[in-house]
Amino acid sequence: MSKPWRLLDTGIRPIAENMALDQVILTARSQDQVPDTLRFLQFSPHCVTVGYHQDIDLEVEQEYCRQHGIEINRRITGGGNLYLDAGQLGWEIFAVKGLPGIPQRLEELYGRICEGVVRGLYKLGVKARFRPKNDIEVNGRKISGSGGTEAGNAFLYHGTLLTDFDVDTMLRCLKLPVQKLEDKQVRSFKQRVTCLKEVLGYVPAMSTVKNALAQGIAEELGVELKPGLLTDYESRLLQQKELPRFRSEAWIRGQRVGCQDSRLSTADYKAPGGLIRVSILLDNTRDIIKSVFISGDFFAYPRRSIMDLEAALKNTSSRATELDFTIRNFFDNHQVEIPGITPEDFYHALRRAILQASRDGVEAM
Amino acid sequence: MYIPEELLYDKNNYWVKVMGEEVLIGLTEYGQSTTGDILYLELVPEDTVLPRGEQFGSIESGKWVGQLTAPVSGVVVERNRDIEASPRQVNAHPYEQGWLVRVKLIDPGELESLMGAADYTRWVEEQIRLDEEDEVAL
Repeated sequence: MSKPWRLLDTGIRPIAENMALDQVILTARSQDQVPDTLRFLQFSPHCVTVGYHQDIDLEVEQEYCRQHGIEINRRITGGGNLYLDAGQLGWEIFAVKGLPGIPQRLEELYGRICEGVVRGLYKLGVKARFRPKNDIEVNGRKISGSGGTEAGNAFLYHGTLLTDFDVDTMLRCLKLPVQKLEDKQVRSFKQRVTCLKEVLGYVPAMSTVKNALAQGIAEELGVELKPGLLTDYESRLLQQKELPRFRSEAWIRGQRVGCQDSRLSTADYKAPGGLIRVSILLDNTRDIIKSVFISGDFFAYPRRSIMDLEAALKNTSSRATELDFTIRNFFDNHQVEIPGITPEDFYHALRRAILQASRDGVEAM
Repeated sequence: MYIPEELLYDKNNYWVKVMGEEVLIGLTEYGQSTTGDILYLELVPEDTVLPRGEQFGSIESGKWVGQLTAPVSGVVVERNRDIEASPRQVNAHPYEQGWLVRVKLIDPGELESLMGAADYTRWVEEQIRLDEEDEVAL
């Protein structure tokens, strides 16, 4: 039997402390100062985080955040911008690489850990499933995203589970591909995410959710969990080194990668089966689709297939050949019926939005 | 899996091309395949002194931020700015346009600890076998 993992609940903390603790525990694990750990975390005051390489100017409505007391910080892990409030439960795994049952290949590692969260959600009566690469969803609607990083031989993989969700505030404080849309499309965009409250009809006690996730993760990974606290070493590292760093402007606003941009455009394409409306956030400098929202007056079966297509397009190349490949690959591997609309129609609709974004140079700021 | 004969390798899946007192460093085809499609890549600036095993940049794919760690000690002479703008070059051409940094060696003796192509090929095959065993166990 392998060593028990530490079950660590660091409670409700401001975002800077939570982000600093990610670094602290990862460092301590890589130095073999602490055991493998499952951590739960919560956030107050409400806040926005961006991924390690992201540019805050391109991702966050900073004026709105200032006016509403929404704190901003940067994660040490990858991925996109997130809005977090008391309705989210953070779950995190700190472990060493090469453990039995934890695959080397990243995409397999994501799947294995997320399956633990899925197993926990089933215990709450939520029929969730893992959606590659990093999402956990219920009927196509995202309920938890995730991401990770590494230090030496240790890694951190974490996500946030939506127990309750203030989608209107999220739409106002993040730069998302909805800013030019009508109310009907915004309502449709809101359908992309869900939360325990919506699925179950109530918000379970946070302790119940934590117990279910802990059991699910422990069963999936075949580990024993033993409740524990932050060590003195971790507390010192937090107070003396990492918390000041994570509170600094240099960390929060420091630009990570110079050559990136973010352009928003919306384009309509009339196909025989109906209108396809594509709203896209494009990094035109690096030819990357940051995110895309597809709506229109066509009928897709199953209904979730458009959300799956959006997930498949996220962070992929916007170049014509590669876009064509991504779309064909999606339709080859999914059973989707959309009367009067072909994969080529989606390709043309997306290309139209991409070309418009490139031409306009209208930045989403 | 393409593993060029003339290069040296380490177990973090970097290749090293010796060019006199300097080396060119990149990720191997196997290394980039375990990472997945690269979204962001950031490299340390020129003149940075890199002890072996130290971080010389970060790489993001599929919401994972990975560290780039130096396979040998040296001073960064040039970083590949083209891949900071087009990081997928590392996926598409890991041994050519996708090189990462050019480094002036501090201790050429360190090259002796790197693997040749035959040893690295065996090591990669072992990793693939372990991965497959893991998959069976899932």
